[in-house]
Amino acid sequence: MLNYIIRRALQIPLVLFVLSLIIVGLMQLLSPQQRAAAFITSDKQIEHLDQIIEKYHLDEGFIVQYKLWAKEVLHGNLGFSRISKEPVTATVRKKLPASTELALSAFIPIVLMGIWLGTLAATHRDGLLDQVLRVVAIIGWSLPTFVVAIWLVAWVYGGLGWFGIGRLPNSLLIDLATGNFHPHTGMFTIDGILNGRLDVTWAALVRLVLPATALVIVVSAGIMRVMRSSMLDELGKDYVRTARAKGLPEGRVVYKHARRNALIPVITMAGPMLGRMIGGIVVIELIFNFPGLGEWAAKAALQLDMNTLLAFVLLIGLIMATVNLLVDIAYVVVDPRIRYE
Amino acid sequence: MNPQDMKPQREAWYRSKTFKRFRRNPLAIVGALMLLVFVVVALLAPAITAPQLAEVRTARPCLRDLGLKKTEVVGALRNPLHPKFWRAVIAPPKSCYNIPRDGYSPLPKPPSKKHPLGLSGNSYDILYGLIWGTRTAFFVGFWVMGISLAIGIVIGGLAGFLGGWVDNLLMRVTDVMLAFPSLVFVMIIVSIFGNGITQVMLAIAVVSWASYARLFRGDILKTKAQDFVDAARALGASPLRIFLKHIFPNAIGTLLILASMDIGSVVLSFSGFSFLGLGAPVGYADWGQMTSFARGYILGTAQGTPFDFWYVWIIPTLMIVFFVLAWNLLGDAVRDALDPKS
Repeated sequence: MLNYIIRRALQIPLVLFVLSLIIVGLMQLLSPQQRAAAFITSDKQIEHLDQIIEKYHLDEGFIVQYKLWAKEVLHGNLGFSRISKEPVTATVRKKLPASTELALSAFIPIVLMGIWLGTLAATHRDGLLDQVLRVVAIIGWSLPTFVVAIWLVAWVYGGLGWFGIGRLPNSLLIDLATGNFHPHTGMFTIDGILNGRLDVTWAALVRLVLPATALVIVVSAGIMRVMRSSMLDELGKDYVRTARAKGLPEGRVVYKHARRNALIPVITMAGPMLGRMIGGIVVIELIFNFPGLGEWAAKAALQLDMNTLLAFVLLIGLIMATVNLLVDIAYVVVDPRIRYE
Repeated sequence: MNPQDMKPQREAWYRSKTFKRFRRNPLAIVGALMLLVFVVVALLAPAITAPQLAEVRTARPCLRDLGLKKTEVVGALRNPLHPKFWRAVIAPPKSCYNIPRDGYSPLPKPPSKKHPLGLSGNSYDILYGLIWGTRTAFFVGFWVMGISLAIGIVIGGLAGFLGGWVDNLLMRVTDVMLAFPSLVFVMIIVSIFGNGITQVMLAIAVVSWASYARLFRGDILKTKAQDFVDAARALGASPLRIFLKHIFPNAIGTLLILASMDIGSVVLSFSGFSFLGLGAPVGYADWGQMTSFARGYILGTAQGTPFDFWYVWIIPTLMIVFFVLAWNLLGDAVRDALDPKS
């Protein structure tokens, strides 16, 4: 097991290397002048394009540029993000917890609901409940994320005035910046409890409701459908028949015997989903005005901020590798028979 | 035993158990019918929108390219015997994809006789945009699917065929591509190559091949383990021959069917990009853009009247939802039918 984990962990740098090559390679499609123009912040600087090119070695070949960047990264310097006007690492420290907080607040209900409803659909196979759940899931899956998000903002927040958007109200943010509030985790819901400021936790939770709801509506279907089919699979197996034959109550057969085994495909699906949600809910973050990683990367992509993009890509690669590793470990927890060599 | 007897007995696909299971699923029938309606609407787009083409002045370039006069448009485009009818159905000029504008008012106008579904913000004809947008949806869906499927087949095929460290590397890259937020990637492509339908389509294709590569590799590995592959190897067939003649054709079926059902989600993500202003140029018939026209009007005019401009956003949104729903209903039924256990 340990051996396997080490081997998987050793593959991570390789993946990060390939990813960063892709991004640096894509940037080479632009002329040095175009890339230099991305550094400009005011009109006056247009005259200094040549100096910018020289300073950042923008006219050098692909390999030289990659080496320059890689050397800095290996020394722990990911560079300066033009989008957020501060070192990349400083921004990541703020945005990663924000995105993780949002992703988890949607991920936990999605998985719990998916497992619950998937089991229900499987035990009521082809019955009314199964059909209704199926149709509801497919409809949710067919809704464009941006439409659901806008409906929620327009009607629930705008119309009814419920919940809120953003991460925290400005008044609280200023209060926190001036007072002595320690950002232990960077997630306001948890930091609020750690600092004994339950009003902060409450305000943060209230603002997570709408974006999380939008995600739950759009994403839940997948987990539920996988759970249903995997559960059906398990319920047809011999050990379930044996369990029933020896007179165990049906609830025990379904929930203790079959469900545990049926979780494996759900874990396979849920892992990468969490990874994707941490870095990729751009539309939700934009519409709900939530300052997360996706929104940051989207802005960087539109303005070709290479440092930000490279850091973002490395971060996503790292998150995914971690999540995949966790998935492998979760398999063993759910099914102790699984062994890795 | 003579060689003829050894040929596998092929079952016609429409008699197979899988197809029977599919056919008996009521949701599959609903999906298929919905899709059929969309196909008909897309094909007959010129005939349906003929009155708008005739009456709105900004539709002139389309008429000019079709070689029709204002007075003969409705007669020609609604008459299958007219040669221009087929020209417009099969290969309409590009200019016909531009939504005609009736005036320059920024405020939407409710449905009228001339504009059955009203005018959206900046006076674009909603009916026209939706009908011709159906064509855009199919076009985008099929092309993106084709390209990403091709990439997925090559990568997954290489990984499954070569195995070893190539497999390992390709699959790790696939893992990452699966996770890479496609929106960010598409934005990078757009900022490098400029805005446009082609760029966004290519970008979506480049980010969505990963799941097909993984699925295809899995099917190849499954097929590889079967007895007939051992038999071919025992007969002395070369690895390449075994792969191309025995493994590939047997492994590809499921992938092709499952992937073709993803056209709905391709259209869904494309509409998301259009909504963000990437993709189709302003005024091009495209559902995502129609919903983004509606962005400012979802709340209505004042508090408490959210349905003042219902026609601007409800119908375009429903078009996307129904189109994707049709594909997803089919896709769900196909997955169920293919699942040997159910």
